[in-house]
Amino acid sequence: MRRHATKTALAAIVLAAGLATGAGAQDAIKVGVIQPLTGAFAASGNYVANGAKIAADEINAKGGVLGKKLDLIIEDNKSNPTEAAAVAEKLIVRDKVPVMMGAWGSGFTLAIMPKLMEYKVPMLVETSSAGKITTSGNPYIFRISPPSAVEAVAFAKIVDQLKIGKADFLVVNNDWGRGAAEDFGKMFKERNIKVGLVETMDPPAQDMSAQLAKIKASDADTLIITTAVEQLTLIFKQAAALGLKKRIITTGGSQNPDQLIDQAGAAANDTTHITFFTPWNPNVSADPAMAKAFIDEWKKRGHPFAGLTESFRGYDGIRTIAAAIGKAGKAEPEAIRAAFWQIELSGMNGQIKFNKAGPAGQESGQSNPGIYLIKIENGKVVLPNA
Amino acid sequence: MDQLLQHLVNAVILGGTYALLGIGLTLIFGIMRVVNFTHGELYAFGAYIVYLVAATLGLNFFLGLVVAVIAGVLLGALIEIALLRPMRTTDIDIVMLVMIGAWIVMQNTELLVWGGVAKAIVTPFPDAPLVIGPVSISWLRVFVLVVALLLIAGSYVLIHRTKLGKAMRATFQDADTAALMGVHIKGVHTATFAIGSGLAAAAGALLGPVFLVTPTMGDLASLKAFAIVILGGLGNITGATIGGFILALVEELGAGYVSSGYRDAMGFLIIIVVLLFKPTGLFARAERVG
Amino acid sequence: MKRVLPAVWLVVLFTVPLWLQDQYILHILITTGIFIIAAMSLNLLLGYTGQLSLGHVAFFGIGAYASALTTLGFDVELFGGFRVVHEPWPAIVGFFIGIFIAGLSGYVIGRLSFKVRGAYFVIVTISFAEVTRLVALNWVELTQGPLALTNIPPFTLGFPGLGNYTLWGKTAYYYFVGVVGLVAYLVISRLVGSRVGRAMIALKENESLASSVGIDVTRYLVLAAVVSAAIAGGAGSLYAHYLKIIDPDIFLFIYTVTMVIMVITGGKGTLAGPIVGGLIFGFLPVIVRPLAAPAVQWILYGGLMILIVFVLPQGIVPAAERWIRNWTPFKGRPAGVILAGDSKPGDGK
Repeated sequence: MRRHATKTALAAIVLAAGLATGAGAQDAIKVGVIQPLTGAFAASGNYVANGAKIAADEINAKGGVLGKKLDLIIEDNKSNPTEAAAVAEKLIVRDKVPVMMGAWGSGFTLAIMPKLMEYKVPMLVETSSAGKITTSGNPYIFRISPPSAVEAVAFAKIVDQLKIGKADFLVVNNDWGRGAAEDFGKMFKERNIKVGLVETMDPPAQDMSAQLAKIKASDADTLIITTAVEQLTLIFKQAAALGLKKRIITTGGSQNPDQLIDQAGAAANDTTHITFFTPWNPNVSADPAMAKAFIDEWKKRGHPFAGLTESFRGYDGIRTIAAAIGKAGKAEPEAIRAAFWQIELSGMNGQIKFNKAGPAGQESGQSNPGIYLIKIENGKVVLPNA
Repeated sequence: MDQLLQHLVNAVILGGTYALLGIGLTLIFGIMRVVNFTHGELYAFGAYIVYLVAATLGLNFFLGLVVAVIAGVLLGALIEIALLRPMRTTDIDIVMLVMIGAWIVMQNTELLVWGGVAKAIVTPFPDAPLVIGPVSISWLRVFVLVVALLLIAGSYVLIHRTKLGKAMRATFQDADTAALMGVHIKGVHTATFAIGSGLAAAAGALLGPVFLVTPTMGDLASLKAFAIVILGGLGNITGATIGGFILALVEELGAGYVSSGYRDAMGFLIIIVVLLFKPTGLFARAERVG
Repeated sequence: MKRVLPAVWLVVLFTVPLWLQDQYILHILITTGIFIIAAMSLNLLLGYTGQLSLGHVAFFGIGAYASALTTLGFDVELFGGFRVVHEPWPAIVGFFIGIFIAGLSGYVIGRLSFKVRGAYFVIVTISFAEVTRLVALNWVELTQGPLALTNIPPFTLGFPGLGNYTLWGKTAYYYFVGVVGLVAYLVISRLVGSRVGRAMIALKENESLASSVGIDVTRYLVLAAVVSAAIAGGAGSLYAHYLKIIDPDIFLFIYTVTMVIMVITGGKGTLAGPIVGGLIFGFLPVIVRPLAAPAVQWILYGGLMILIVFVLPQGIVPAAERWIRNWTPFKGRPAGVILAGDSKPGDGK
């Protein structure tokens, strides 16, 4: 009985598996997309996925790639690294995608990277910013989002006009936050800007008043914060409650200023942010026409305006992948990987072109986008004369 | 010195709500001997109810608080009647597992209904803080402290001045004798669980607007509540109150002067250290409620 | 029949990679197998000694990190400027070191925690797992914190005379996990069946009575903790070298809960329990994933757990065994009972 039941169960599983692998649309090029569609980062993941869909639809409307339609297979990594690795496995092994985009959070991307090496499938990284991603010697990684090192270099070009004397850091306790503190700190020291405290906070932490009390008592004139919009909301509110009067600059690209204004209210005023896309004023983008078209399509589909600060990455990512497939001439992993090195196209915030990063012989590709400085004043986003 | 004062003030305000959490759990844990894993979920539930009433429905914020506490009491009673009463077995392992199951169901229901993204609750309090010398406190937090202290006082009154409180104390001391003397044990259990849950919901309703509301906010709250109960001694409300303030103090000072990353570890370290060296808690005055 | 069953099981399990084409299912089998090993080790503490240790994932994680760090090498500065540098060692050595260090922590925790019992013990174990997680998260110099330890090399088995064999593919890994699982199973079943095991069960049933007949309660509890932790550490090491990445999230309470669910629903205190429970809860997510949102899945698991605890408090395996025993005709039936169907006493036929 038990033996029977188990055997039947195993047989059923095999049968189901066999049936499932049979499915697959012909005449379409499959692209895997891994994003956090549920869990703590669901809002961001959905923005990116929707941006990707806009790009795919646009490309397909113009005839697709190599005469075939792009078919996005969007999977949910549930805001969890182990799950990210599992769905990457599924996409590669079951759906046989020749290329993927993902996985939003650096932890998720890092978890997937060994799979890329194992199965030799390239992945385009659209949001993750850990330096490690492109310095681990993984030739299947091509990233369009900047790690904090690149962000710091871009920031260096305009930092002098801000006249920072001494800066404290308050960063989220993961590779992203710590990396930012390290890279920006290094850049500051090269420009004779003093670095004061470096305080950290756990990703799920909600009470930063201890760190803020410490920072309030310091002699720095500026506070650099790197974390996502939820913690920023809390920090701004708690900082206001403490009467913290320093200039606040945020980095990292996950600030979502509209949501900040919405949830932090007056506490968000007079804060400065380093962002990678300015949907409030598409004219300053690298390609204003493309930016306007994207923003219009986004609004037309009824997505929240606040999501534009993240969704453009999904858009750029799919366009980059399409360009690589076109250059490769065939939808095969190795050809696409080689093609990534050869393409150059205009993205929302600058030219997309991959430079070598990481140990020789196993370089990953890193593109260097531009940055924009914005300020929140009186509940609105303004672009200072930069 | 300024920094220290600010830390102390922060700690006092946080301590009030921690005390509420602790009192609720010490009653449940003490009188019913149940390792209540759903305590943190009631905390989160309280916060979500305030969100529902104040943010989603757009009604009065204070109404939201009241509704949250009442809802917490009712939910607590429901859990007790539906899950704990039928478990006539006093096997603590089995009860614990049922509580874990309930915790999983509750948390994921919240996740399903409200999603995993953090929610903010806008309050009618002014943003500008109250400034006393070198110390700044937001008005919202002052309100939270006042309400917390009122509820703590209310718990005292309940336990020491009401008939129900007497029944609870009797049950705590010796359930069998209490039953023989006519105390309706089943009713006492339901009431205890309901009150404890109501206090947890109150803590969540108060802290939800201060921070953010997420489905996992209860997990840390649960564990901190256990730390407070262990610090203060089982069934000891005074101990739980003091324990709540001590935990908040240790967290604030630890985060401020030692390492901000390990802030939440303080609670656990306390648990481990106290249990290993003084398992009955710092304030246990032989077992008694109150 | 009882002796044939396990043999058939084994044959089926060991030939799986030969006829299973789907690599993804094989992947699930491997991760499930690893968790089953961990669940078996938890069963030793939970089922056989009756100690509800809810920090078990700490041993799993410690084994994983110890193994990974041994294999990757590290360079940390301790108190007083004292530097500790470790060169990378072969993965298989990491495996044994992971087992050893996990076992060691089991000893420490056992010695310290068994001073407290019941509910307090539960809380201490949970706290231990949380503190371990926070250490893994914050001691960035050693563990890379949330950056995770990546590029963990796979196992290389060296056979004298046959040369080295690196476990790259899934099939190889499947067999390795299978062998380790088998060894773990044998160790546990041997331990449980021995005098030591009987002592453990005695103290689960009635601790004061056991102690009064001279059984050294603490000693046996600590022994159970060490063996349990060591096996969990071994499973952790397998996990680290399979996923090739390990991050502090491995210490999350939810993984302990998963193991507990596997053991309880399968049947605590039985040898086959964690295996059955593990298979169910290893494959349930895969089957349910296309049908329901993850939150719904977890509601199902929680509800299932409550249901099983109410309806089948002993778990599935003992219930199944009872059911099989009642069904089997001509075997073990007391004389005088008619064979046609299940007759109840008082039927009077």
